[in-house]
Amino acid sequence: MKCEHIAELLPDYLQGNLGPDEHQNVEAHLEQCADCSEEVVIWRKLSLLPVDQPGPTSRARFEAMLQAYQAGRSNQPAYDADWRKRASAWNWNVFHWLRSPLGAMAWSAALLAIGVFAGLRLAGPKLPSPDFVAMQSELASMKQLVVLSMLQQQSASARLEGVSWSTRDQQLDPQVLSALLHTLRYDASVDVRLAALDALSRHGRQPQVHKAILDSLQQQSPLVQVALIDLLLEWRDPDAAQRLQALQQAPNLNPTVRQRVEWAKSKLN
Amino acid sequence: MTLAPDEELMLQVRDGAGETLGVLFHRYQTPLFNFYSKLTGDRALSEDLVQEVFLRILKYRQSYCPGTPFRAWVYQIARNARIDHFRKFPPQTALEPEMLPPVLPTDPAQQQQEVELLHRALQQLPEEKREILLLCRFQELKYEEIAALLGCELNTVRTRIHRALQDLRKAFHQLARGTMLKKAEAAAAENIPPRGGRHEV
Repeated sequence: MKCEHIAELLPDYLQGNLGPDEHQNVEAHLEQCADCSEEVVIWRKLSLLPVDQPGPTSRARFEAMLQAYQAGRSNQPAYDADWRKRASAWNWNVFHWLRSPLGAMAWSAALLAIGVFAGLRLAGPKLPSPDFVAMQSELASMKQLVVLSMLQQQSASARLEGVSWSTRDQQLDPQVLSALLHTLRYDASVDVRLAALDALSRHGRQPQVHKAILDSLQQQSPLVQVALIDLLLEWRDPDAAQRLQALQQAPNLNPTVRQRVEWAKSKLN
Repeated sequence: MTLAPDEELMLQVRDGAGETLGVLFHRYQTPLFNFYSKLTGDRALSEDLVQEVFLRILKYRQSYCPGTPFRAWVYQIARNARIDHFRKFPPQTALEPEMLPPVLPTDPAQQQQEVELLHRALQQLPEEKREILLLCRFQELKYEEIAALLGCELNTVRTRIHRALQDLRKAFHQLARGTMLKKAEAAAAENIPPRGGRHEV
């Protein structure tokens, strides 16, 4: 047996996945071939590498994050009681929304726009450009309509879906931006708020978005606050120290958030 | 008493029992930390990324489907977290030996020297080769799971593992030869009697 054949079998040999015949063939080859047998030796030697242990503060950081998360959830008892039921009925909710008059209208229009848009594109490159531009803007406004109406839904999972829809466009429409900022501050579900933060932070390079996101530091959800503090550091915001100072002076600040503020301040110095 | 499987715990987390995540953290923080530390050679970054993985588990817990192997799912999150991090902060410099994780004492014992060489050889591999070796050797992922993770065919995984192993062998031998040469030079230098040296009485 040649080395090329062994190469195909060696990974399975190393994991003990070969049948007895193939196993024997590989062993016979290894006795004769120094290179292949050295590979097996190296593989075994890898087990000598020491297991690196994370630092002692790792567990505490995790606990703080979890605590902030739990605190954020317990702020919405009504939502929490409902959550399991809603999560298990996710599909139903989406279909229900699609079948609602507004959903049906939005989807029909979006499909129509997509159809016409695709038709125009397939028709060839020499398109009357005003039509083409009009179709594009039609399609964009349909997408906005879908996002905006999904963000208004009762169901948290439908709102989550709405947030994720908003990330499909490179450009952020001002109306969608304002709806996402509202979601970031006031949504009943901490998951939806965090998703909105994710979606918004993609556009953090735009100064007005950057500022609006960081302005939402003063809010009810500790988990979102922790995420925002991390973002402050990540973006190396010039006003970071000032914002942290203001947050620290806020009355009734969650202890975990206070701890995070202190940690962030130490990172800034 | 048998331990609850990861998948069962993750379903509890998905259904709102956030505190159960503590058990999964206990089980996975060291493997994940090792995955990152051996891949990046940066302890502080590795710790941050482990925290990021668990935050993402909470954020995206609703996307966990029953029947999905938790280990494969969590490594998918771990890879994405690292990719996103390096997209935001591209690594400025290549990995320097000074940044390598555990600094082993220069013990004459052969095994310890081998471990050190192996560590350095592993760090010399291109990242994708290092990653695949870490996934199959240390993170105990099945080849099928790695194929799904990397989005490639099962046979491609086998080929990549074999190539990574070939490169690791070559790097290891090169380093071992270098070390032997240095030792030989040091030994030769010691044999040269120093000027006005210790034999002078």
